[in-house]
Amino acid sequence: MSTKGRIAGLALVTAGVATILLVHWMVAFWVPNEAAQGVVQRIFYVHVPAAWTTFLAVGIVAIASAVYLWLEDERADAAAVAAAEGALIFGAIMLITGPLWGRIAWGTYWEWEPRLTLTLLLWFTYLGYFLVRSSVADPRRGKRFAAVVAVVGSLNIPLIHVSVEWFRSLHPEAVVIKPEGPTLPSDMLATLLTSLAGFTMLFLGLFTFRYAVERLRRRTPPTATGETDEALI
Amino acid sequence: MNELRRAWLITLKDLRLEFRTGGRLLAMIAFVVLAGFLFAFALDQSQVAGRDVAAALIWLVILFASTAGAGRIFDAEEEEGAFRHLLLTPVSRPAIFLGKTAANLAVIWLVTALAFISLTAFLGVRDTGSPAAHAAVFLPGTIGLAATGTFFGRMSRHSSLGDTLLPVLTFPLLVPVIFFGATSTARVFLGRPWPEISGSARLLWAFAVGSVFIGAALFRHVTDE
Amino acid sequence: MTLEGQGLVCSYGPTRALDGVDIVAGDGEIVAVVGPNGAGKTTLLRALSGERRPDQGEVSLDGSPVSGADPGWRGRVGLVSHRTGLYRKLSVAENLNFFASLHAVPNPRNAVAQALETIGAATLAGTRVEALSRGQCQRVALARTLLHDPDILFLDEPFTGLDPAAAAALETALRARRTAGSVIVLVTHDLRRCLDLADRVVVLQRGHKVHDGETDSADPVDLLRYFTTTAADPS
Repeated sequence: MSTKGRIAGLALVTAGVATILLVHWMVAFWVPNEAAQGVVQRIFYVHVPAAWTTFLAVGIVAIASAVYLWLEDERADAAAVAAAEGALIFGAIMLITGPLWGRIAWGTYWEWEPRLTLTLLLWFTYLGYFLVRSSVADPRRGKRFAAVVAVVGSLNIPLIHVSVEWFRSLHPEAVVIKPEGPTLPSDMLATLLTSLAGFTMLFLGLFTFRYAVERLRRRTPPTATGETDEALI
Repeated sequence: MNELRRAWLITLKDLRLEFRTGGRLLAMIAFVVLAGFLFAFALDQSQVAGRDVAAALIWLVILFASTAGAGRIFDAEEEEGAFRHLLLTPVSRPAIFLGKTAANLAVIWLVTALAFISLTAFLGVRDTGSPAAHAAVFLPGTIGLAATGTFFGRMSRHSSLGDTLLPVLTFPLLVPVIFFGATSTARVFLGRPWPEISGSARLLWAFAVGSVFIGAALFRHVTDE
Repeated sequence: MTLEGQGLVCSYGPTRALDGVDIVAGDGEIVAVVGPNGAGKTTLLRALSGERRPDQGEVSLDGSPVSGADPGWRGRVGLVSHRTGLYRKLSVAENLNFFASLHAVPNPRNAVAQALETIGAATLAGTRVEALSRGQCQRVALARTLLHDPDILFLDEPFTGLDPAAAAALETALRARRTAGSVIVLVTHDLRRCLDLADRVVVLQRGHKVHDGETDSADPVDLLRYFTTTAADPS
């Protein structure tokens, strides 16, 4: 099963990377400039799909972590950690491309845009997720702690969202240009959809691959020695 | 026996230890007063009026002091391995969490009062506004800080990173507390009417109640093996 | 009353501290668990007491499974370890009162006074634990463990650092509990004391049980062998 998982994962990753390369060609040579924003708008063909994959990953981590706390099923933890790595990577892409665009469009690198702010805080939550996991001596405990961090972080999302909304209302100068208009010209829509498909495939591929590897790693028989147990307690 | 009574016994025990040990308490008090002093010193008061930033600085000082203190909440429990025995009594995990949170809250209240006094004094805030309104903002805010600190303080005990882990884990969570707390306190300083503040206070209560309930429900995951 | 651990497996990541250990402890007997450092003794004790849920296997009392998550079970268990488990800045009486109240002992003050009387430490009631000697601390710790009259006792290297008088007091207390019909599991690396005190001895080596038998029929030289040789490869 895990060999199949790895092959499926690699296939999806390859398809995803190929699609994303195609998207880059489309973005560079095919799709026309957006009238209002000019060339800088093209970064959205990377930014929006990265954001979408980040939140997809965050959703998977939250659900898998809750399941792990409830049932202590190793598969749930493997899924959570595989998705959390995706959240960290695609979140970083979103957090880098967002301010780059903002520098041109808004005139500042950072704007208190709710989704951007939420991503930054979630990104740090997931940093904590991996720090907890790796720094606790007893791995079973580390997994549980990480799951707790993910669940608590997700439960806090509504309150963070409200804070950012209210915070923005304190700054009347924040005029946010909505990046995606209600109707996109068809060639732009095609580019965006291709990119969305590419990013989703890449993420799901990485996720499947990492999940399979994680499962395989845990199935290797442990070394039967009790030598360090006292130190771990 | 009633679990609340057990929680209360843990609170009393913690406070007794806190005052007898004194170290953590003194360090937090010194931190709060010195931080207030340094903030006032670092601020160019000819450019920025101290009272404009007093609310934000008070909340940050409380946040830093309570985070630094959170790593020490379980020191007395671990010194001679008493926590192992506490966990082996029939007391429920939510009761332990509530008891220790209440003791932590009492300490944070002391810190809050000192931060308030020292920063308003050092930053020259003359008109501090209604004490009742301040209390209505600080009460839910500090409950949220105490519950979060107690919960993650336990978690950091098991990490080789120790207390350095605490800010990474708690600061992203505490953004709503700092935001709603600081803006409300600023409005109280300005003497704004309560309806302008009550919305934030309600959200502070939402965080306080949420963190206490979630902490109590999940505490067994950070204590038991 | 029989406490039984079946096929207990406990891992810390890639390290298996316990690798399928079976153990039975009946009432009125002292079962000693011995073995070299890192054999998994403490882990076995924590699995039996319910402090650590085993990855595989089950702990049961008279056939019904027990769990550390059950307050009723925790109320029946007593633990003495090499660490005192007392709060240093509290007085002896405050420590004992605290634990008696958490255990819901009826009339805790009387129970504490009585417990202090039993260990011959009534005069220490008002003294802070930090001012006590190691032997006195361990006596107080024993009094704390017996406050709620547990019928299942776990002892984790309780003799470490004790002076002869304190060790003798502990032995007397353990024999009294055995007569009273408690289940007693004692973890130690002290083979001589174990042969002297226990009825049955279980030897662990690298997470495996390598010996289980009456102490009367055990040959000390034979047992000592386990401490000097390494375990046979389980595979």
